[in-house]
Amino acid sequence: MIELWSLIAGVVLLLLLMAVAIKGWLAPRQFQERTRASRELGAMEPCPEEFVSRIFSPADREFVRGLKAGSIERLFEQERKRVALVWVHQTSAMIRKVMREHAEATRESKNLEFSTEINILAQFLTLMAVCWILSVAVQIGGPLWLGGLAHFGQRLSQQVTKLQESFQAGVLAKAERVGRA
Amino acid sequence: MLSQVFWWSSIALEIVLLVRGLSSRLAYRLPVFYGYIAFVVLQDLARVFAFEWNPQVYRGVYWVTEFLGLAVGSLVVFEIYRVSLAAYPGAARMARNALAFVFLTALAKGLAAGSPGWQTASTALEIERALRAVQATAILALVALFMFYSIPFGRNLRGILLGYGFFIGERVICLTFIPPQGHHFWFYAYSASYIVALGLWLSHLWSCQPTPEPKANIKLEDGYQRIAAGTRRRLQETRGYLRKAVRS
Repeated sequence: MIELWSLIAGVVLLLLLMAVAIKGWLAPRQFQERTRASRELGAMEPCPEEFVSRIFSPADREFVRGLKAGSIERLFEQERKRVALVWVHQTSAMIRKVMREHAEATRESKNLEFSTEINILAQFLTLMAVCWILSVAVQIGGPLWLGGLAHFGQRLSQQVTKLQESFQAGVLAKAERVGRA
Repeated sequence: MLSQVFWWSSIALEIVLLVRGLSSRLAYRLPVFYGYIAFVVLQDLARVFAFEWNPQVYRGVYWVTEFLGLAVGSLVVFEIYRVSLAAYPGAARMARNALAFVFLTALAKGLAAGSPGWQTASTALEIERALRAVQATAILALVALFMFYSIPFGRNLRGILLGYGFFIGERVICLTFIPPQGHHFWFYAYSASYIVALGLWLSHLWSCQPTPEPKANIKLEDGYQRIAAGTRRRLQETRGYLRKAVRS
């Protein structure tokens, strides 16, 4: 067990250092470029909300289906997938920018709190994982399938909540009956 | 024969590194690292003489100097931490906590594995592997932290980190596969990793390079809570944005 742990530590360390050496990470030049990139990202217009809401919406697909042209439908799905991937990429870049700004602002702070930093890191990692899952799901099934899945999940969660509420109401009613008896 | 080549070439490279360090005055800026190199030169010479004199004595000399080298090497990691984070007290506090976590986890793991016969049954090779793995994990945690907080490194310090990290990573892998007796591939890979580290050090420490100074931070010192709250709010907003988009 200790052998496996040692091996993993050694391999991960070597891979990370190779990435540091090849990509020039930790070098001052790289941070200047990174700051420039973050400025460019900051200057970039965020996706309009009405546009974002249509990426995963089935309304456009239903309209295209109504045209009854297979080639247009395929083209539409390809384009929609590309747009969704760009949006996911842009969102994950925004999340990274928030973290970078946080790290640059707090690294010199004398009263930094370990638990708060871990909490923020966990939030960041969760969001990055969500972006990664979204990206994989869009590539595999397309944004419309994902939208359908989200709606299904939402309906399922609403049904579970309703069921739970009715179950709680039943338990309370039973408790009241027992109390009266 | 190949072992002799590794031995003498590493001694030669170490001496060149020391001479360059003294002439470029880097040895005064990074005394622990150059102290470590001086220690390794003496260690190599002691091993060569012990090997020529008596192979039985060599075995004892080897393990004593190996563990001493491990301890002095840990001071090099400390020097990397101290020099790189001197201007970043927030990141330094996180690094202290991360390192404490690594060492406490390793200690707990060691104690959990410490059944009554464990210590006596362990060979020096196994103990070295476990200690080097702790060192590798500590360096890993530090590098991740340096990257997270965007700590800019000068060429010299970056070279020390890359060389020492590479040497430890390679050492840990070799120690996992190396057989207790005989000269096999992993034995030579084990020796060669140090030559590669020396090459990295020589190329990065040939001359003294300026260390990047942090930009003056105009933010208030007591503003940490405000910054952290702002980041959490922005991340929560992004989460809501993601959820809303997918469910629309």
